[in-house]
Amino acid sequence: MSRFFHGGASDSESSSSDEEDLYSDEEEEKLEESSSEESSSSSSSDDELSESEEEAEGGNRFIAGGKYDDSDESEDEGKRIVKSAKDKRLGEIESSIKLIENAEKINDWVVITAEFDKLNRFVEKAKQSGPVPKLYIKAVADLEDFMAESIAKDKASAKKMNAANARALNTIKQRIKKNNRTYEKEIEQYRGDKEGYMVEEENEEKPVVKVKKDRAAARENVAPGGLDDDDEGFATVGRGGKVVQYTPESIFKHLKIIIEARGKKNTDRMEQIRTMEKLLEIAQTPYQKIKVLLALVSTRFDLTTGASNYMSTEQWKNASSEFNTLLDTLERNPNYIVHELAEEWDDDEKAPEPSPDEVFKVPGSVVSFIERLDDELTRSLQNIDPHTTEYIERLGDESALYTGIVRSQAYYERIQQQQDVRVPESLNRVVNRRLEHVYFKPAQVVETVEENTWNSLPNSVESTITPRLATRNATKLINTLCTYLYKYDQTILRTRAILCQIYHHALHNQFYKARDMLLMSHLQENIHGADVSTQILYNRTLVQVGLCAFRAGLIYEAQTALQEICGTNRLKELLAQGVQIQRYAQVTPEQERLERQRQLPFHMHINLELLECTYLTCSMLLEIPALAAAGSSPDIKKRAISKTFRRMLEYHERQIFTGPPENTRDHVMQASKALATGEWKRSSELIHAIKIWDLLPEPERIKEMLAVKIQEEGLRTYLFTYAPFYDTVAIDRLAEMFDLTERKVSAVVSKMIAHEEIAAALDQVNNAIIFRKGVELSRLQSLALTLSERASSLIELNERVLEQKTAGSGFEGGAGGGRGGRGGRGRGESGRGDSDSRRGGRGGRGRGISSSRGAVRT
Amino acid sequence: MATTDGTTPMNGATEQKNYDLMPKMMPNLDRHLIFPLIENMEQQGIFPQQQIVQAKYDLLKHTNMTDYVGSLWKEIHDEEELPESFTKKREEVLEQLKLLEEKSAKVLELLETEEVISMLRSDKTANMKFLEETHKVTMDMVNAIYEYGQCQYQCGNYSGASDLLYHYRILSTDNEKTASASWGKLACEILLMNWEGAMEEINKVKELIEQKFNNPLGQLQHRTWLIHWCLFPFFNHEPARDALCELFFSPAYINTIQTSCPWILRYLAAAVITNRTRSRNSSQYQKQLKDLVRVVKQEIYEYTDPITEFVAALYMDFDFEEARRKLAEAEEVLKGDFFLAATTEAFVESARHLISESYCKIHQRIDIKDLSARLNLTQDEGEKWIVNLIRDTRVDAKIDTKDGTVLMNHPPQSIYQQVIERTRGGFFRTQVLTAAVSK
Repeated sequence: MSRFFHGGASDSESSSSDEEDLYSDEEEEKLEESSSEESSSSSSSDDELSESEEEAEGGNRFIAGGKYDDSDESEDEGKRIVKSAKDKRLGEIESSIKLIENAEKINDWVVITAEFDKLNRFVEKAKQSGPVPKLYIKAVADLEDFMAESIAKDKASAKKMNAANARALNTIKQRIKKNNRTYEKEIEQYRGDKEGYMVEEENEEKPVVKVKKDRAAARENVAPGGLDDDDEGFATVGRGGKVVQYTPESIFKHLKIIIEARGKKNTDRMEQIRTMEKLLEIAQTPYQKIKVLLALVSTRFDLTTGASNYMSTEQWKNASSEFNTLLDTLERNPNYIVHELAEEWDDDEKAPEPSPDEVFKVPGSVVSFIERLDDELTRSLQNIDPHTTEYIERLGDESALYTGIVRSQAYYERIQQQQDVRVPESLNRVVNRRLEHVYFKPAQVVETVEENTWNSLPNSVESTITPRLATRNATKLINTLCTYLYKYDQTILRTRAILCQIYHHALHNQFYKARDMLLMSHLQENIHGADVSTQILYNRTLVQVGLCAFRAGLIYEAQTALQEICGTNRLKELLAQGVQIQRYAQVTPEQERLERQRQLPFHMHINLELLECTYLTCSMLLEIPALAAAGSSPDIKKRAISKTFRRMLEYHERQIFTGPPENTRDHVMQASKALATGEWKRSSELIHAIKIWDLLPEPERIKEMLAVKIQEEGLRTYLFTYAPFYDTVAIDRLAEMFDLTERKVSAVVSKMIAHEEIAAALDQVNNAIIFRKGVELSRLQSLALTLSERASSLIELNERVLEQKTAGSGFEGGAGGGRGGRGGRGRGESGRGDSDSRRGGRGGRGRGISSSRGAVRT
Repeated sequence: MATTDGTTPMNGATEQKNYDLMPKMMPNLDRHLIFPLIENMEQQGIFPQQQIVQAKYDLLKHTNMTDYVGSLWKEIHDEEELPESFTKKREEVLEQLKLLEEKSAKVLELLETEEVISMLRSDKTANMKFLEETHKVTMDMVNAIYEYGQCQYQCGNYSGASDLLYHYRILSTDNEKTASASWGKLACEILLMNWEGAMEEINKVKELIEQKFNNPLGQLQHRTWLIHWCLFPFFNHEPARDALCELFFSPAYINTIQTSCPWILRYLAAAVITNRTRSRNSSQYQKQLKDLVRVVKQEIYEYTDPITEFVAALYMDFDFEEARRKLAEAEEVLKGDFFLAATTEAFVESARHLISESYCKIHQRIDIKDLSARLNLTQDEGEKWIVNLIRDTRVDAKIDTKDGTVLMNHPPQSIYQQVIERTRGGFFRTQVLTAAVSK
């Protein structure tokens, strides 16, 4: 019962929900159309109440109303602290009554309605600590009289009232009628002896006005009878909210009223929830329980509206435990199932009584409950500051949620098997939710969670897809879940499943498995068509694969995988880990809101700094030797492996004075410079000094790996850079310089010679490298080479264009066949990697037929 | 004695056991095709005799070769008399054979006669119609040929089965069964060691696979089978080797190898390396070698054995020491391999060539003594080897006998040459383009 909610409930006309917003807008228009004499300019406030007031009486009223609202709220707060602030409450009631009387004078029914609602609420509270105040009875009775009068007048004077007023009058008429029935006796007393009744008040301190059963019965007659008054009908229930009222027999009546009130304005949801909690206590049959629980959980969800709000922890916990009770009930009573497509049971008087071997379907959806619970948890995690203990506490609720998911999965499996109810879609959704909760976690965590989950579930709960004992291994669990989705799902869930599995493999150092799956899924070709959250998942997966390659020491692969995400400046946006502030941003608030909604909760984040550091280090190891090899040739710019890295390097080099490195980027840049000049030791030291490596598992091993790579690349860079200045170099000298074994040095040099990277040969006798002279190209020669290269690439391009034009599908096959023409964000974008072309080739296998057809058409 | 045989096999034998591909290959081969492999194991004597016989028995007990299976049973159980079931099965088989023979007799007879054959056209449906009208041949009768052929095959009468399936294929209109008939015929040809015929069948089966499938997974499976079956002619029939190398390197098949049976790389590597001596067409050979290196590199995480490791050491790491070691290991493995045993010599020879070739390419001055050691040769042998190498590969090199060194001369490729190379195809390609556009 936070202040927030209370406020929301008492100010029931508030604009918190879009729907209502719309509604009031509509009303506004209507008002403008109909009211001729009150053509005051429409107020900027969305508050319908104050707006109408303004229309009726101008600014004064508006201000008064506003003031009143404020005091009301603050008083509300105060009340919670001082329990028996009877006088205060009476004061409130009095002021409310006064306002009503004032409004009566000017015939403003809109205000009367609003005030009447408020009044009722106060009285409700007052009743908890004592009898119904006489003042109230008097006011109500007077109001009824006045109303009857004005209706009569209204009828006589034909069309005098404006639309809003008339509607308000109508509403209040019904409300009063119902309300007064509750206080029938008191009102009669009052009417019998108006003066005396009020005097008695002073003496009569506690004449407990018990609401009797027959009254409840009477109300029951009213509720279904009223056409428009469900709202108010509910309000009455709330007011008479005493336990004795609720009998097992009347549960359905109450429920029906509540359900009908759903989504309407003016409903006090907290009130409804309280009612239903009571109903739940007295519910006896499983059917009653199920019905109440279904209504209760969805009402709890209704409490939170709007995109930026999230469900309060308390409500969430209640909802979660009620959800569990629901499943529990369903488990105990296998002949009731909750199903989306079930028929509504119409008979309120009689609960259905299925025979033991019969299955009764209750309309409702378990999967949407669990999904909503999940979403709400995510939403609250998005909103809570991740560095507080609150966040961690909230995160603890995830295990409860996970248990719920597993349990719902078991439930769906059970009804599918035993009752033969086909619910493939729901089951897939549940399985997917479960997957999304485990895929990003390390194996040990998953295993612990699994164990706790199964321990907390009753023994009778069992799952065939993921049997109790078989899920102790995280990889196996994920594999089972994914395989299930591959098999039975045709939608986007399948794509998500494969991404989750790849992510998991990548997280657990299964680089080749992850890469093969990623490439064989051909996702890079059609991920653009997917929804945003799936694209984010794809980006996350890609990045994770890159990190995995890095840990495995596969620098080239790591760089290519990371390139796509880290090479852009939109890292945060692409991974949904925070909103990027863009310099020339033209983001509408709407877009920004959507983006905020997409954000991942903090515990799912991939460390961005680590990511950047990895990317830059990989780029350094590839880019520095490449730069050295290119030397001063004209196409140096074109062959940039990582544009981002080059840009940073250039920026760094432009600086006149470079201080000691402060952040990760400085470290890498200075290391790059050192590497370029052959100072591998310094470079290695600088890289080792980066603190973020500690976030990786086995940081020492990573550092060692990096040191070795730096040595090798340093050697290569050195040879590229200084080859023109040497005639011969002894291998042992190089080995000494770079602290490598001679064998390693000769292997590296041999490789360079064999790939014709340097013009040299080895002298086995003297154990030295002999550089060939006269191979340096003159400017004209190198330009001629470039020209010839361009000419041949032009022809190739033309051929490709023709191919594309003549056979659309044929081109695709060709591109898949390893041309690397898969533009966009595909891994194969570069088209230079062997591995890429090969995977593309693999793809060609599946489409061999289509591509050959394309060729025929050509 | 028996224990020493069983438990302490030679060093090479363990190596062979480690790299034995039998378990991986078997699921992709036919029962009858596995038999020669087991025979080979028997000759190697790595496994105890008892196990081999048992394996043979298990392998063949579902076939109709009752007599042979019976004798195997006797050997296993060391008994003279066969149990009842064997004789019963034998009789059943004979009876079935007889029945099918009768059923198919008529059609077969018809196919023998000149006039009928002369009437047959390429259109199968028309043929069938013609036979139905003039000779009252029904579809059932044609199917009987198929079954008869299958039965013959099961009995181990491969030549008979081959003929029958050939006849069936002429008449049948059932695509499914024609496909399996083709597979059956291929198996027959392989078992009969009729390599020419087998090559023909391989081409037919290949076409079938390309045409028929719209299910990629099934297609993959069939390709995998074909690749395995191909190994028989691959290493037994010289002319087949080039064609099959080409087949294996075609995109569809290299993908199949990478996806479902990377162990085939051993055979592919061996074939490519051995090809060196025969194929004079060096540019094609270079291309194949390049492809091979690429594939080996990609699959190194999934499959390695001494042969692929040799390739990796030589062409990826340029570690000649390692390459030499792997070559020795590879020799052992090859000796134990059913398909490759015969080509071991040629393989080692070619591999040495490759080592020295790339060694020479990288070095300018080589110590003969050292090189000989690298090639597992004595110094004199080494010198001779180098002389041969220089002559064969026409490298620009000279031997300095006084120092015992070879001097290599690597002239750098002329820049003008490079430019010409690069622009060579341009005119032709543009012409093709123009033709295509104007179409």
